[in-house]
Amino acid sequence: MTNAIQWETAINHALDMAKKEGKSVLLDFFNPG
Amino acid sequence: MDAVTYPDPAVIDFISEALIPLRVPSDDKPLSEDFNVKWTPTLITLGPDGKEHHRTVGFLEPKELIARLLLGEGKYFFDSDKFPEALKTFEKILTDYKNTDAVPEAIYLRGVSQYKNTGDALPLKAAYEILSKDFPGGEWTKRAYPYRLIG
Repeated sequence: MTNAIQWETAINHALDMAKKEGKSVLLDFFNPG
Repeated sequence: MDAVTYPDPAVIDFISEALIPLRVPSDDKPLSEDFNVKWTPTLITLGPDGKEHHRTVGFLEPKELIARLLLGEGKYFFDSDKFPEALKTFEKILTDYKNTDAVPEAIYLRGVSQYKNTGDALPLKAAYEILSKDFPGGEWTKRAYPYRLIG
């Protein structure tokens, strides 16, 4: 296990990973400040 | 979320194992416009095809976040006609996260998934009976109200 969430930053890459791993994507829109 | 929820070990483990986490600023265009994001944090569960299945807005403490993410996962399975997988996910909310605010919706969707999986409407009535007993006056109890007439 990691000690922090390893966030992806590009949606196309995240969707490719989701297809490969059979998972859903958690898309978090955060306040950039 | 960054101060309390995302550093929580249970949250890290759950998200790392169950999901592909993707984080973008709320002013990232065209993505924020495509998803009509107006406030943060906005958390959306997407299927591998990029379609939205669930959304939550606002802070959630660790257990509530995991329960909501399970709800999103279950809805993805449900929307994909994977009813046994959806049932398993909603059951997990009801056993492992039974004190969270996700429970009433999970009871409702468990009943609907059972119906979709078998064609037997009695689980819909059972869902209403549980909801009316445990959450009288609640939103999901009201939505299940017509199911009292089944059987």
